[in-house]
Amino acid sequence: MNKHLIATALAAAFLAAPLAATAGEAELMARIEKMAAELEQLKAELKASVKKTEAVEQRQQAIAAAAPAPAPVAAAPATEPAVAASAPSTIFGAYGEINYNRPTKNASGSQADVRRAVIGVEHRFDQKTKMVAEFEWEHAVVSADDKGESEVEQLYVEREFGNGLRSKVGLYLIPMGLLNTNHEPTAYYGVERNFVETAIIPSTWREVGVSLSGDTAGGLTWDTGVTTGFDLGKWDAAGGDGRESPLGSIHQEGQQAKSRDLSVHAALNWRGVPGLLVGGSVFTGKAGHKADGFTANDARITMVDLHTRYTPGRWDLSALYARGQISNTEALNETLVGNPTPVPKSFAGWYTQAAYRLMEVGDYTLSPFVRYEQFNTAKSYAAVPQGLGVAASPDEKVTTVGANLKVGEGVVLKADYQKFKEDKSRDRLNLGMGFSY
Amino acid sequence: MRYRHLIPLAACAAGAPAFAAQYLNAEQAQKLMFPEATAFRQQDLALSLAQMQQVEKLAGLAARSVNWRVVGAYSGDQLLGYMVLDDVIGKFELISYAVGLNPDATVRQIEILTYRESHGGEIRLPAWRHQFAGKSARTGGLTVGDGIANISGATLSCTHLTDGVRRIAAVAQVALKK
Repeated sequence: MNKHLIATALAAAFLAAPLAATAGEAELMARIEKMAAELEQLKAELKASVKKTEAVEQRQQAIAAAAPAPAPVAAAPATEPAVAASAPSTIFGAYGEINYNRPTKNASGSQADVRRAVIGVEHRFDQKTKMVAEFEWEHAVVSADDKGESEVEQLYVEREFGNGLRSKVGLYLIPMGLLNTNHEPTAYYGVERNFVETAIIPSTWREVGVSLSGDTAGGLTWDTGVTTGFDLGKWDAAGGDGRESPLGSIHQEGQQAKSRDLSVHAALNWRGVPGLLVGGSVFTGKAGHKADGFTANDARITMVDLHTRYTPGRWDLSALYARGQISNTEALNETLVGNPTPVPKSFAGWYTQAAYRLMEVGDYTLSPFVRYEQFNTAKSYAAVPQGLGVAASPDEKVTTVGANLKVGEGVVLKADYQKFKEDKSRDRLNLGMGFSY
Repeated sequence: MRYRHLIPLAACAAGAPAFAAQYLNAEQAQKLMFPEATAFRQQDLALSLAQMQQVEKLAGLAARSVNWRVVGAYSGDQLLGYMVLDDVIGKFELISYAVGLNPDATVRQIEILTYRESHGGEIRLPAWRHQFAGKSARTGGLTVGDGIANISGATLSCTHLTDGVRRIAAVAQVALKK
């Protein structure tokens, strides 16, 4: 439209010039100037219009790339999908966190760490089948001399069967607790993940197996599956890892995982009332794998958890209880007498947390929070002959006070202070940056 | 109650050449939203620049698109309302949904047509979707954490869907309200 106007204006300008030669020079100049001004105005309008069109087109292209095709509207027959079959698509995502910890009673123990950098890939083969993978680096550098780890955190194929029924095959996250399946730094409060869901539930906990999930009209989601489990043969009674996280020290993570004994898991989560989640889960399986000469081939590891989260208005309230048990460890622990870390019979913990969305300025959201947790990684031991056992640990109680500052949707800055009741030397100040997209 | 309708419909969808995560098509959604309608007319909308700016101001979000897929629902000649069709990204995948609107631009009903994420299918729950009913771009309350409760474990899906509904409510306020 504007192009035509300009063309007309130009033609008019050139045609008008010789015609105007018969008129007075002043009049001619005035006309030329007037036309030049009009031309400039048209040019400016055209430029603005092109810019607007480009912006709109870019937006539409972005949407078109996301939405494969518009839904057929009123005339759609009942069996036709609302969104036409899209071409196979591959999506990349990532998350990461960098943390700084400063023990307040031992500042020389201060540390900054690239805690994790994760690349996620999701590929959809067709409308019903997709692959999900997550590749992770922890502690920045991985080599024989360094402390970093490089790992495949998730690698599974998911197939949908309709009616909300779906199955996963591969290395997937065990649906237990609140954090394990939502472990991106933008999804939880505090610089560090809570103790209960790291020391008791060994987040990020994944196993190789097959799962089946579904949901009901009443808001109930269920998951169940058969997977690899733990390898009690890896227990290091001389070291401290088992004291830090009993299951974290003997998980297999799909690394040539011993699979003579398989485990089963089940989870139920109810979200029937908006803003409320109530759920629980169980995971159980033997962990001896009939290894030659191993004295705990009948040992069974069982984990249970109950959790709830309620988000009324600006509040975000949650609570969780988790308990683990390792049975038939008497004979094994007798062989470990003299070591500082025998296999516990039970370990457990709980926490309660309240966060409040205090301020929103632009795309900054400030949410202070407080969390109280109590946990014990060696709550009890199986009986051993008198005088040879190790005393059960006292419950550790940790209060965490801090705030998350979200920048937009994908970036979070965190600061908190943690006070330990038992081991006061662990009191610390934490700062962190995390992102997820 | 409304959710019960979904069960046979979803069963039909599953019985048809399978499209796993599709729960409704547009035609089914418009009938669910306006059961009393005798006619549906496609009346797609193209926003002017000024209208887009108004939408952005009202919704607090980019207007995103000039063109909107709109179906008018009528009983005889009487306008009952509109259904606007849209798609948003959940966490990684596309969510197709429809917003039913009354002629006064208040939200009547939300229906999820397709949902393909592994988690967060709870946005289909009637109790969650019911939170939108009766609200408009003018009344507010169409934001997660402010009128719309979050779904634990599906924050991105419910935030993005809620943003989408708020945008459509603003489009209705600006361009459809009678």
